Amino acid sequence: MTAMTPLESIHKKGIFGNHHKKNKSDLLKISEVKALTIFQVFQYKRSKVNFENINIDGIKPSKQSLAVSSNEKTRILWNAPRTWLVVSQNENIFKTIKENCNEENFAITDISHSRAVIQIEGNGATEILKKGCPINFNEFKENNCAGTVFQGINILVEKLSDKPEKFNIFTLRSFAESLYFHITDASLEDGYLGV
Amino acid sequence: MLEIKCPYCGKRSQNEFSYGGDANVKRPALGKEVSDKEWDNFVYLRKNPRGNHSELWHHVAGCRKWFKVSRDTLTHEIYNTEKLNEEF
Repeated sequence: MTAMTPLESIHKKGIFGNHHKKNKSDLLKISEVKALTIFQVFQYKRSKVNFENINIDGIKPSKQSLAVSSNEKTRILWNAPRTWLVVSQNENIFKTIKENCNEENFAITDISHSRAVIQIEGNGATEILKKGCPINFNEFKENNCAGTVFQGINILVEKLSDKPEKFNIFTLRSFAESLYFHITDASLEDGYLGV
Repeated sequence: MLEIKCPYCGKRSQNEFSYGGDANVKRPALGKEVSDKEWDNFVYLRKNPRGNHSELWHHVAGCRKWFKVSRDTLTHEIYNTEKLNEEF
């Protein structure tokens, strides 16, 4: 069986919206992030594992809210108290997680196929998010993540870089199409590049 | 629109939250003989104070944690928010 990504039949490549008289390289880029492995790791209340000793793929998950710890291939997002999302391009990440987080102390759930990830990149990215999201993006820095809503759709947004502004937006697979249309609709004003 | 301070995530807009009712209601103890009136009071009877009110809120679009909010029902001013294991 061939796995279909959530936006495979919806996402269109090309230039859209009010892009006239604008340099192609200055346009906002919207893409679907594929081939990501996403695991939710939850530490049980009864767990007596010292948090400082947890190390996944060379990264220590942050105990601080809204923080992301990362290396080149893997990012660990704080999702809630004692809950993290491990997002990785490393196919063997499950083995690594399991080695460090045993079943007695942690619940590990593979949610790779239940999430859609949309990436927006470019210097107008914050303005697009501000159109539908109530978070204060002026205080939202690189390596921050937050669970919030975009036009009423529950999302998890993380900022990958400040310059250029680059965000990953996670949502449930079933909301992917709706979220995609809200984002592209908000981007038409300044034009965008579907990549 | 209210701005509510989630004890875990910080200040967020009200539309990330869901109201969960009066925080002072206590379920009758398990195994205790409960009269119809006591049960009726637990299920239906609520105070409707004008002023300071302890409420439960759920950060449904964020960390998905329940917490307590002390809010003025008249002015909507939020005095305090606490984790469930903390006291106002």
